[in-house]
Amino acid sequence: MIRGFLAVLAVLLIIGSLMLGTPFVGVNRLFAGGIEHIVVVELRAPRLLLGLLAGGALGVAGLMLQESLRNPLAVPELLGVSGGAAAAVTVCVVFGLTVPGAPLLPAVAGAAVGAGLTLLAVRGAVGPEATLLIGAAVSAALQAVLLAASALADSRDQGVLVRYLLGSLTGTDWADVLVVGIALAVVTPLAVLCLPSLKVLRLGDEAAASAGLNAGRARVVVLTVSCLLIAVVVGFCGPIAWIGFLAPQLARALGTASAFWSMVFGALLVVAADLAARTVLYPIELPVGGLTAVIGVAVGILVLSRRRRRVPA
Amino acid sequence: MKWLIPMVVVTAVLAFVQLLTGSSMSPVTALAALFGGDGTERQIIVELRAPRVLVGLGAGACLGVAGTILQSTLRNPLASPEVTGVGSGAILGAVVATTIGSESPIEMVVLALLGGMLGGGVLWLVASLRGSDPLGLAVIGVLLSAMLAGATLILLTARPQLAGAMTQWLVGSLNGRTWEHWSALWPFLVIGLAGAFLVTVVLGVLAVDDDHAKAVGVSVTPWRIVVLMLAVLTTSVAAATTGALVFVGMLAPHAARALVGSDQRVALPLSALIGAATVAAADIVAQNASLPAGAVTAVAGAVVMIHVAKRTSAATVGGMR
Repeated sequence: MIRGFLAVLAVLLIIGSLMLGTPFVGVNRLFAGGIEHIVVVELRAPRLLLGLLAGGALGVAGLMLQESLRNPLAVPELLGVSGGAAAAVTVCVVFGLTVPGAPLLPAVAGAAVGAGLTLLAVRGAVGPEATLLIGAAVSAALQAVLLAASALADSRDQGVLVRYLLGSLTGTDWADVLVVGIALAVVTPLAVLCLPSLKVLRLGDEAAASAGLNAGRARVVVLTVSCLLIAVVVGFCGPIAWIGFLAPQLARALGTASAFWSMVFGALLVVAADLAARTVLYPIELPVGGLTAVIGVAVGILVLSRRRRRVPA
Repeated sequence: MKWLIPMVVVTAVLAFVQLLTGSSMSPVTALAALFGGDGTERQIIVELRAPRVLVGLGAGACLGVAGTILQSTLRNPLASPEVTGVGSGAILGAVVATTIGSESPIEMVVLALLGGMLGGGVLWLVASLRGSDPLGLAVIGVLLSAMLAGATLILLTARPQLAGAMTQWLVGSLNGRTWEHWSALWPFLVIGLAGAFLVTVVLGVLAVDDDHAKAVGVSVTPWRIVVLMLAVLTTSVAAATTGALVFVGMLAPHAARALVGSDQRVALPLSALIGAATVAAADIVAQNASLPAGAVTAVAGAVVMIHVAKRTSAATVGGMR
């Protein structure tokens, strides 16, 4: 029942993303020739595909972070991962540095630095909340680096700033889709290989040990792969804030904390949010990450305030 | 008292150095101009640098006071404008003011105040729903701030003509502050500081626990609201005049407490002074590297926040085990 509903929703969203906007392209004219065809094929289709890819990757990466750290709020935005990747790419873009493999390699390096800083800072802290707060402090510092770089370079390109602060799909072309697609095609098999150990890790370190799994090593592998997934997305679209939290949360609400459903929800959320972002205030285009941040965090606060009420500390 | 006077001296020295720092002339020229140099240079100092220094000191003092109030009243060492939603709410309010085309700094402060009340109010609501363990509430505060910052960025994107000031709002800076900003700031600064000093006794009582407060005849909820409103007021004034000077409100109260302990009558003014000195020092560093001052405070403050989060986690979570 719910799966049928989701499938219908997915089809509607995909067709809607191709049709809606200015100019409106009727469903009968989607594959007809002319200027409308160019709008659909050259502008809307790559944007839709990149949204699906980015959302799916973030959904899976978020699930991997949360299950392996056993913390429902372990999101890229609060662990310095997104912040590091975004800061690195912004520095390259605003200073016009020519780095080989940009923006992919700087994003991966930045994510590694951000995650490493958080890991270093977290040493000696007790409990999931302290980890998140420390990650948030690292993320805030990295965001300050991002903003300082953009101020230092006297960058007038506010689009870059918005993209790497929140995430946006504005100006996507087929070249972006191709690179992201290839990068994800490389990382996805690694993620699939991680899934069995993820199932054990979520049960706790002792269960993992009794199942013959080196929990520490397995966790490092899972975290590395999720950082790779996040870095690929951030390099091209920015963090698309809080999808890595929302998608697994929805999958859990459905009763399955599975990577597949997390991916599906991530992809659909990004496409839906981007559709809203580019049509609601037309001709002004909002950053898709702004919408997902506001909605995602609101859900996060609700989840937290409900969870604790049931189990008084 | 022994730390107050040295801190006044430190703040004054830093402010003086800040007055001499800048891109347009060497510190020596600036010093000469200060004591009667030629017209242009003196004008730069009086019209550009003096308000910059004063606005920075005022905003820093406001944030120091706000942080002290939040931390003692909420009994949460992690509370600060950034971790309660008050700071981001105030920024959102100030950006709403610019979005609707308001020119006067007073309107901006009023809207920032409303925004700060919104952020603080939501946190209060959540705290009353779920209980307020320090770490959990701080996590919610961080989330709330992220949400309000998202809304701020949406507003800034929706009005492309305002986007140029984006960095200014998200990470505060003292660039381009004028006497107009100072004249919007100082009345609220006086109200906020005077109010905070008047209620230091209550602050000390609220910091202990509610039963103690009731026993000494303090009605807890009304006083807590009054005191928190002072924190919102001071945060909003700072936000409306300088943007987000990140983590100054986290750093200053901790430094003050480390120096003099938890006696609010000394800790509060000391925290205000340290806040002012921090902003002055950050701006000196920032100007030499042409960075926004808020970026410097953010990095320095993050280190403090990490330290405090660790200590709080060891005290609360470790204590329960």
